[in-house]
Amino acid sequence: MGPLQLFLGERDLGKQKSSLIFFLAYLVSLSIVPMVMGDYEAMNFAYFLLNVPLGLSVTLVWGYCGILSFGQIAFFGVAGYAYGIIAGNLTQLPAYEFIGIGGGILSSMLLASILAYFLFFARVENWIIPVLTLVFTLLLETFLAQTAGYQWKIGNVLLGGYNGMTGIPSMRLPWIDDPLYGYSFYYYVLTFVALVFVALRIFINSKYGSIIVAIREDSLRTEVLGYDIRKWQFFVFVLAAALASVSGILYVQWGNYITPSQLGLVAAAQPVIWAAIGGRSSLLAVSLSTIGMTWFSFTLSTQGNQLSLIFIGAAAVASIMLFRDGIVLTLWNNVGKLGKLFEKK
Amino acid sequence: MEIAPLIISLVYQALTAGAFLVLCSIGLMIVLGMMNIINLAHGEIMMIGAYVASLLVTEGLPFFLTLPFCFLVGVLVGLVIEFLFIRYLYSRILSALVLTWGLGLIIAQGALLIYGPFLPSIKIPFGSIEYGGFTYSIYQLFLIFVAALLVALIYFILQKTELGLKARATMQNPEIASTIGINRKKMFSITFAFGAGLAALAGGVLAPTTTIAPFMGTQFVAPAFITVVVGGATNIITGTLYSAGSLAAIRTPIGMYLGSFAGTVGLFFAALILIRLYPNGLASIRLFGRR
Repeated sequence: MGPLQLFLGERDLGKQKSSLIFFLAYLVSLSIVPMVMGDYEAMNFAYFLLNVPLGLSVTLVWGYCGILSFGQIAFFGVAGYAYGIIAGNLTQLPAYEFIGIGGGILSSMLLASILAYFLFFARVENWIIPVLTLVFTLLLETFLAQTAGYQWKIGNVLLGGYNGMTGIPSMRLPWIDDPLYGYSFYYYVLTFVALVFVALRIFINSKYGSIIVAIREDSLRTEVLGYDIRKWQFFVFVLAAALASVSGILYVQWGNYITPSQLGLVAAAQPVIWAAIGGRSSLLAVSLSTIGMTWFSFTLSTQGNQLSLIFIGAAAVASIMLFRDGIVLTLWNNVGKLGKLFEKK
Repeated sequence: MEIAPLIISLVYQALTAGAFLVLCSIGLMIVLGMMNIINLAHGEIMMIGAYVASLLVTEGLPFFLTLPFCFLVGVLVGLVIEFLFIRYLYSRILSALVLTWGLGLIIAQGALLIYGPFLPSIKIPFGSIEYGGFTYSIYQLFLIFVAALLVALIYFILQKTELGLKARATMQNPEIASTIGINRKKMFSITFAFGAGLAALAGGVLAPTTTIAPFMGTQFVAPAFITVVVGGATNIITGTLYSAGSLAAIRTPIGMYLGSFAGTVGLFFAALILIRLYPNGLASIRLFGRR
């Protein structure tokens, strides 16, 4: 099968070719949106968009492979800090931002593979993974919060304790002198995120995707068919960490800072809730819900609204109790049914 | 330095750490063992317990008389959560995790909105005694006593009462238990409410040792979850005791030399190694070779 057939495979919304039109329209509208805004609003919109890989990482592990991880935000944070340390120390080199991106993603993947080794090769029960990844996130936050002072200086970069790391280098392309900001940064994020999305959708519809979904459906049966599920779970977990780290790096390139509370307990809830609300078995639905939810909580918190956490918690409760398949996915399926109803008449 | 006081001090510290782990985790452990559900709002229910204690102490009630109220409020909260949500999620453990997490967020933020960022802290009752150059807080000794009492009480309920017999039957095989006339739904709601009550009681007794704030539960959940993961779901009593015991033995020396945060990090790595060795929890080890 060619990449296009794989992209239109059955494991996401839009099996028919006509839905390719929807995806293209989605992409086109995302590229047009900032044009009607100013530079500053485009920068804000880039923030909503850059969270998409983080949401997709939860979709991959939880929705497709049946492993619930609360640790994605930790991989997001580790990649952000690693990018800050690496890029911040190598500013003399050409294209040091790219070294930072590579180093950030690799550090997260390394950390994820250590955790994944202990979790999956022990064949623990499935409730242990969310609990231990949550503890891991909490400990990482506590650790980073106590790194204030000059003894926590790596090269030229201060970890900064509770106030976080500041002055993280922006993204810059080798052939352009100025760092990316506003429109240019937005299109950089859009390109990066769209590439990640397309690659992930092709992957999930490939034969490897079949194995991953099979593990979710019945891990014992998959195992007796001859697949070493431990290796596949390990692989998926590390891949998801790489996805989360893409968001982490884009985030620090966007805001030039990161604080420990960005990977705290509340932040850890967010990607899981985006996935639950979007419909965790669809990449497209979660990409939509991620943009929508980050927009929503960004608007609430910039207004200083203390209810924003309550809304997020209530959204989690509602998506579990009322919409098993997520709100976006439920809407989508029912719109399809409505369409069929009209066709019959 | 004499050796005897040092040993006594080490034993005291290990027991304190163990009692802390037992108090934090016993409510979770019961719910997990009986119902295979993890309540991620556990820390927030502990916070509710501490809030009840603090509010009642402010009203003029002596601290020790507030503890039954902590337990009762916890039971009520547990009953409500079980009735509204958990009973629909028995076969969906991961969904229950996400749901209870959302509830935890609502409870903590709700407490912040209603009562503000802090409640008056409770003065630590009793004083301290000194022996051989080390000081011992009498309240910490009391906490060790409470932890031991709770474990003994749960052992008694499980092994010596009819309710406990039914509970153990449900734990072993819920399907067959219901065929012999045990009301499984009722057992589950009693268990969940009891677990929440124990969490709130633990929050109440631990309240004097910490600041009382909406997100105070966060400091308890990491040790509590680690204890539960290491202990496993197969046996409530042995799981709790083995796990809290071995983790306290790991935490005490690390915490003594490197500080309490390093102690918690040590717990996490110990948990990773222990689950690698005993994926079903320490409760699955048979010390005396019987099955």
